[in-house]
Amino acid sequence: MRSNLTTTAKVYLAIVFVILYAPIFYLIFYSFNSGGTMSSFESFTLEHYKAVFNDNRLLVILINTTIVALLSALIATMIGTLGAIGIVSMSNKKMRRTLLSLNNILIVSPDVVIGASFLILFTMVGIQLGFTSVLISHIAFSIPIVVLMVLPKLFEMNTNLIDAALDLGANRRDVLTRVILPYIKPGIFAGFFMALTYSLDDFAVTFFVTGNGFSTLSVEIYSMARAGISLTVNAISGLVFVVTVGIVVMYYLITKRTRKSGEV
Amino acid sequence: MKSLIHATLAIVVTCGVLWFAASKLEASGAAGGEGVLTVYNWGEYIDPALIDQFEEETGITVIYETFDSNEAMLTKIKQGGSAYDIAVPSEYAIETMIEEDLLIEIDHSKIPNLKNIDPYFLDLPFDPKNRYSIPYFWGTVGIVYNPNDIPEHITFDSWDDLWDPALKNKVFLVDGAREVIGMGLNSLGYSLNSRDDNELREAVEKLKGLNGNVKAIIGDEITPLMINNEATVSLTFSGQAADMMWENEELDFAVPSEGSNLWFDNMVIPKTAQNVEGAHLFINFMLDAEVAAQNTDYVGYSIPNKAAWELLDEEVINDERFYPPEEMRGNLEVYENLGLELLGTYNEYFLEFKMSLN
Repeated sequence: MRSNLTTTAKVYLAIVFVILYAPIFYLIFYSFNSGGTMSSFESFTLEHYKAVFNDNRLLVILINTTIVALLSALIATMIGTLGAIGIVSMSNKKMRRTLLSLNNILIVSPDVVIGASFLILFTMVGIQLGFTSVLISHIAFSIPIVVLMVLPKLFEMNTNLIDAALDLGANRRDVLTRVILPYIKPGIFAGFFMALTYSLDDFAVTFFVTGNGFSTLSVEIYSMARAGISLTVNAISGLVFVVTVGIVVMYYLITKRTRKSGEV
Repeated sequence: MKSLIHATLAIVVTCGVLWFAASKLEASGAAGGEGVLTVYNWGEYIDPALIDQFEEETGITVIYETFDSNEAMLTKIKQGGSAYDIAVPSEYAIETMIEEDLLIEIDHSKIPNLKNIDPYFLDLPFDPKNRYSIPYFWGTVGIVYNPNDIPEHITFDSWDDLWDPALKNKVFLVDGAREVIGMGLNSLGYSLNSRDDNELREAVEKLKGLNGNVKAIIGDEITPLMINNEATVSLTFSGQAADMMWENEELDFAVPSEGSNLWFDNMVIPKTAQNVEGAHLFINFMLDAEVAAQNTDYVGYSIPNKAAWELLDEEVINDERFYPPEEMRGNLEVYENLGLELLGTYNEYFLEFKMSLN
């Protein structure tokens, strides 16, 4: 697999990356502009970042977004992992395939549809729009992703391991906590981080279910951008980008460590 | 398994810490009490330096929150749970708030600076004798355009210029039933508070003729479009036009001679106010000539403060586009509260007009 890339391939790769990253860096570049607009760069300033940190409301929204992302990813990972184990351990093949398809439909169905149906559900049941409604909907759309991330690990696992453990006197609980979960751990972490990023940047679903003063960053940025271009938006986007890079690095470090400890 | 449990605990603890931090932040911004004044205003509608100055002079801490439509503000105040000491609604919203008994009467003896306001802006039909509201800014509805991109004979001295075939696919309209239907009524010489169904019908039929010229019906997004020369002609509020012209000097603004809307944003004290004394101090502070002048410089809307006019640039004050002299104001009308039923009719006609566009 490790072949040296041809020059054309390298150039192509470079172009693709430039196209993907240029808009982001353009945006971040102007967040340091003292000019106030994105049309011309005047001089370097940090005032837009200062404005973000001086704005209590914005900070609260930033924290809320993080809490929702962490909690929803955590709960979705728990439910999703158990769900994946359940799907795999099903003996009826037809049933298993149906369940998997149902799971996949949720991933491909448009966010707008999911968001609108949640709105209808919440108003019908009488749940007030706010933190709870956002958290519930984020958990819901994250579960299928977690299931999908955990499944390959489970399929890859040799079922003889479980039989061996049972033969050696392990009860069902031990099998789960000492055999299955450690084995699929990388899949669980991958699922968690995927769910985390999905929740952090979700706009469409959240847009429908926020209300009563509760808002997340993506929805807030949308309403800020509607009122005109302000470089504060750039500054927040820059901060979010840095956080995202941080999460990716963390994910990389964790998977590297678990791989190493797996080898020992 | 251990690492999974550790990770879970770490996440839960992080959430707890964050939640605590958020509630701390919110608490420092919570309303109520003697030394705190909560102001609920439109976005970008005050010079932040003035808030600092007010805090310094009175020792009151100001919490400033913003809204983007009268309707949003009304809902929040009606719902309760909020404790705004000052709000700045437009005239028709003030009328509704008075009707629904949401406002506290203002004690004029505590506002000596009221003498600074031009009498023209006092004692208006929506709030006789200014019992509940004090003028903040005012303006008109007109057309902002880029003279370089349209033929010279179009000056928007008349609303009919909007129907000019030369403006094919160039006109942007604001997404408001009162503004657009009102513009149609004005162009026919009718009152923009018309209650006559035949007149409304006629106006809609005329508006449908705009099909082909109208490129889009949008909201606040028009500001960046006009600034970046991505839009050419737009129906808009005078203050918003002033904003655009500040950023893009090519633009011009006109209020057609058949007449248009004249609007006012006034300061009021909602019933839910916790610091009525401070609210009076704030209103009086904002009416101070120097403060008002500084605020106008920052915000760019037209100020009703006579004393401030003397401190402002003559160029600003004599700009008839934004400070139409009294004889020109004859054609301008204030929106009357039409009542729910008639407002519904306006909305229906507006929808019909929107559907006819393609």
